[in-house]
Amino acid sequence: MPVEVRLFATFREGRFKEKQMEFPQASSLADLLEHLQIAETEARILLVNGTAVSAEHKLAPHDVVSIFPPMAGG
Amino acid sequence: MGLTEKQMERYSRHVMLEQIGSLGQEKLLSSKVLIIGAGGLGSPAGLYLAAAGVGTIGVVDADRVELANLHRQIIHHTDDVGQEKVTSARNKMLAVNPDIAVKTYRQRAKADNIRDIVRDYDFVIDATDNFPAKFLINDACYFEKKPFCHAGVLRFHGQLITVIPGRTACYRCIFHSVPPPGTAPAGSQVGVLSVVPAVIGSLQATEAIKFLLGLGELLTGTLLTYSALTMDFRKVHLNRNPNCPLCGKDPQITQLKDESQVAENNANRKRT
Repeated sequence: MPVEVRLFATFREGRFKEKQMEFPQASSLADLLEHLQIAETEARILLVNGTAVSAEHKLAPHDVVSIFPPMAGG
Repeated sequence: MGLTEKQMERYSRHVMLEQIGSLGQEKLLSSKVLIIGAGGLGSPAGLYLAAAGVGTIGVVDADRVELANLHRQIIHHTDDVGQEKVTSARNKMLAVNPDIAVKTYRQRAKADNIRDIVRDYDFVIDATDNFPAKFLINDACYFEKKPFCHAGVLRFHGQLITVIPGRTACYRCIFHSVPPPGTAPAGSQVGVLSVVPAVIGSLQATEAIKFLLGLGELLTGTLLTYSALTMDFRKVHLNRNPNCPLCGKDPQITQLKDESQVAENNANRKRT
C-alpha cells in the first residue's frame, strides 16, 4: 500500500525529505521506522495524518506519516 | 491615554501600519509578555519585544553568562560573561527601549513557582533549553489558561508552535512526556548554528505581537519547522490528541510536577 513519508530536521540527513513508499498491508509505524533505520526511542514525534500516534499504530493506504526528532535546544 | 510625541516617533513605523495604528501601539505598551530562558531563543525575542514596545517583559533564567553562550545569545556581550543572564538581558532591553519595564526572575522555572510567575502575563514565550522545562511550561500555561509559543532548536533545525490551552493542540498532545535520558540530545551536546535560534526566537516574538494585537493567523494547531541547510520552512498540521495526558478526555495530569523527577517513570510508560 502507498504511504507518504515526511522526515524532519536531523532525520533527513542521509535519508530524504519526503517520499512515496510502499509497505505491505498491516504494516505498523514500527515497521516503517525499522525500514528507515530510525530508532523508536529517537522518533519521539510520530504523526499520522496530523495526529500523534505510537509506533504500534497500523498504517492505512495513503496515510501521511511525519516523523520528528525531539528538540530541546534553546 | 494616548502616545506621547516621542512615542509617536519611536513607534512611527508601527503606527503607520493600518493594522496597528496608535491604538495598537498603546495596546502593546499595556501588554505583558513573559520570556522563560534568556538564551539563544530568548535573546532575539527579548530584544525585539523590547524594541516593539511591549510595555512589560518578564525574563526568567537562573544562569550566568558563559563564553560559550555568546555565538548565539546576542543579548549578552563579551563583557557580560559571569553576569546574571536576567540582569544582562534587562540592561540590553532597557538600552534598546527605556520606555518599557523589565521584570527579572533569577530562578529556574519549577513546579512550585511557575504558575505564580506566568499568572501575571498575557503571553508566554518558552525559550528554554531542556525538556523538563518545556513540559512544565506547557502544563503551567494550561492550568493558568495562558497562551504560549513553544520552540526548540537542534543543529541546523528549529521548530515552533503556538498553543491556546484547551483550544488547540498542546505540547503534550504531540510529545506526551520527557524523553528518557540519552535519546534526545540537547544543543549543548550536539551544537547549533548561531543564527537558527535567532530565526526561531524572532518568530516567537512575532507570534506574541500577533496574539497581543489580534493580527493574522497564529501558529496554533500547526508546527512550523525550519531547516537552515535547505532553507526549508514547512507547516505541519497537528490535531488535538484525545488521549493527551493533560488536555485530553481523560487527563492523568491534574497538577504540576517537576518533570525531571518523573521523567524516568514516563519513559517506562507506553505512549498512547
